[in-house]
Amino acid sequence: MTLLNDTGYLFVRYMKKLIRNPILLFFSLVQPIIFLVLFTQLFERFANVPGFPAESYLIFATPGILLQNAFGSALQSGNSIVSDIDSGYLQKMLVTPVSRYAILLGRLTSDAFRVLIQSTIIMVLAFLLGARPVTGLLGVLLMLLTIAFFGLAWSGISLAIGLKTKSSETVFAFGSFLTFPLLFMSTSLTPLEFMPDWIKTVSMFNPISYTVDAVRVLMINGFVWETILSAYFVIGFVALITLGSTLYLFRKVVS
Amino acid sequence: MIDVKDLVLIYSNGTKAVDNITFDVEEGDFFGFLGPNGAGKSTTIKVLTTLLKKTSGTVKVAGFDLDAEAKEIRKVIGVQSQETAIDGDLTGKENLILQGHFQQLSGKILEDRVNELLKLINLENFADKKVRNYSGGMKKRLDLATTLVHKPKLIFLDEPTTGLDPQSRSAIWAYLEKLNKKEKTTIFLTTQYMEEADRLCKKLAIIDTGKIVATGTPTDLKKQLGVDSIKITLKNCEKDKKQAIELLKSLTGVSEITESGDCVTAFATNAHQLIADIVRALDSLEISLAGISYSSPTLDDVYLRKTGKRIRPEELVKTPSRSFGGRRR
Repeated sequence: MTLLNDTGYLFVRYMKKLIRNPILLFFSLVQPIIFLVLFTQLFERFANVPGFPAESYLIFATPGILLQNAFGSALQSGNSIVSDIDSGYLQKMLVTPVSRYAILLGRLTSDAFRVLIQSTIIMVLAFLLGARPVTGLLGVLLMLLTIAFFGLAWSGISLAIGLKTKSSETVFAFGSFLTFPLLFMSTSLTPLEFMPDWIKTVSMFNPISYTVDAVRVLMINGFVWETILSAYFVIGFVALITLGSTLYLFRKVVS
Repeated sequence: MIDVKDLVLIYSNGTKAVDNITFDVEEGDFFGFLGPNGAGKSTTIKVLTTLLKKTSGTVKVAGFDLDAEAKEIRKVIGVQSQETAIDGDLTGKENLILQGHFQQLSGKILEDRVNELLKLINLENFADKKVRNYSGGMKKRLDLATTLVHKPKLIFLDEPTTGLDPQSRSAIWAYLEKLNKKEKTTIFLTTQYMEEADRLCKKLAIIDTGKIVATGTPTDLKKQLGVDSIKITLKNCEKDKKQAIELLKSLTGVSEITESGDCVTAFATNAHQLIADIVRALDSLEISLAGISYSSPTLDDVYLRKTGKRIRPEELVKTPSRSFGGRRR
């Protein structure tokens, strides 16, 4: 009960911080919006190549752009824990009876919620530009849920790095270092069949590909449960590793 | 209230930050840890407030064992760390309420308590303003208030006035005295300011490089040094000096007399009582006095005697205290 209450209080704290710094939310959306508006225009004719799996490049790339945003956003979530360590706020919490796990859960849930808000904005914009998901509102909700779960799993890595290094520079550098290589070597922006063989191989081991594929089938094919469930399986696996190591490092900090 | 026996803390890099200290703080005490930066003051507070695991020794805080009952301890203590740890994106009121939630308070009780505290620290008019825009003194006051939300029996204050302007400092002093006297809150405070320790603390421990070098009330500590000095200036020093010295010698309590620049200085343990006697005796001998004053040894003298060093806080004030939100992105 305390765990739930405390998580709630901390979730609200992070939400207030998010809403009161709208500039940060705005800037975090600049990149995905540029991709959505410019990048998809640039590659519009890509859809005419025989064998392209969607009717337009926009509808094909939207899932990739959503995931790119979620991935980048999740990889910065360690910054907030570093800033709580730096300011002494983490210590201030630790000398109270507040639930230890709530400190972590409040962080994770609010990160997932932030990704949810960003994704909704991107989704609305994509809709205005003409991307119509075949699975309707229900499919959109499942897409958002999948993306939020994906974000949750990856924010674990960033939190672990933040706890380990206590340096926001390192968190930032690691995030930027990982984002683009992993995205380009996934099916985010290019169909698997169009890739050079070696990237195809990497992509098949890339957890991002599985999630993109799941969001994409919801966008253009329908409820293909096999693809969707394998994405959840992969995300669950990633979450187990990242959140496990976060928990381990966190316990070292709070012990 | 606090019982510490043979406490040792060695950091993982081998630094012995706390070296076998023993002391106790009674309920209602205003206890001070006086020492320069790096003496082990903050480390001791971190151990006592369950943040750091001690290497060895036994510690009881508020009647609870530090190892077995850390959770119970956290419910009855309030802790203000050296960094002003408040959330700049939240308002003053929100900061206090959140802290109350951490202490498992809610509803009307919490609301009332928060309003009471805001009034107490004179921040009612700023309650709904973002803390980011507060001045340093306001932040410090709010930080202090957040540690008091749950009416703790015992509060730990790690250098609560370091880096503050004199006005904010005396406001905090006045409030702490009130808290200790009226609400019977036991206070454990660390400081590097002699005058702060002298004014506030009923009992003091002087700590240097991890060891306690002296304990006692500020007055006792100064008495240990021995003596007050009485400076006597005579109108006609050359003529009357000899007679005056003879007279001083005959008074009980005077341990030493020297001829000084002003004329004569006597050292005595009970200067404040002797002054009247001296004045009367000189008068009866018709020696006219130009001035007489006495001064007690300062804590700085005590510190010098015990550690061979002088504390110079003005050097230490410059130590950059991390400003809130400095590394936010």
